[in-house]
Amino acid sequence: MEEGILVLIPITAILGIFVGLPWIVLHYITRWKTASSLTTGDEALLDELYQLARRLEARMDTVERLVVADHPQFQPARMTSNLADEKDKLRELDRMLAAKGEQSQ
Amino acid sequence: MTSIRTRFYRDKVNGKFMGVCAGIADYTGIDVLWIRLTAVVLVFSTGIAIPAYFAIGFLAERKPPALYADAQEARFWQGVRQSPARTAREVRASFRDIDRRLAEVESFYVSSNPRLSAEIESLR
Repeated sequence: MEEGILVLIPITAILGIFVGLPWIVLHYITRWKTASSLTTGDEALLDELYQLARRLEARMDTVERLVVADHPQFQPARMTSNLADEKDKLRELDRMLAAKGEQSQ
Repeated sequence: MTSIRTRFYRDKVNGKFMGVCAGIADYTGIDVLWIRLTAVVLVFSTGIAIPAYFAIGFLAERKPPALYADAQEARFWQGVRQSPARTAREVRASFRDIDRRLAEVESFYVSSNPRLSAEIESLR
């Protein structure tokens, strides 16, 4: 009985090191590769969209400022309320919606 | 051919020795202090840390100096490397944000019609 346990310990250790460990490592490498694979085309597209969003946001700021200068009764929500706070809330909502969408699929 | 913005670079400019730790910090967005502390712990606890450091140091390319226009863009690409899906949602969110603001301006012009009232005012 005692000898059986003594034989089992090195076998499990060897199996753990030479089979289990590479298995876990390779499993996570493949998962990481499939999860975050972004082709050059995707990257260029994302870059373009990001730059476009930033440009449009800057233009929208200008337009809002021009409208406010012409008509003081126009009060855009962005200029009166806390900008970053509101944006965070919208992001949070967006994230929750995305999570819900993933669950229902 | 991997893409230029989601590839790993070593950051020699902000680094202490070869810029590997600074490169990891730049890639992941984790503070460089934590990366360096982990590296020091790994050096003392395992034997693989020093060869791995030099392997990365010699194999990884140096970061091109003008990769990002500003800090905001660098943060955006850090987010892309962490989770492309989340950043895509963020870009969509900012487009929706612009759409909302534009709709606000549009509805102001349509509902109150300030130009029309100004014209009427001038005719009086």
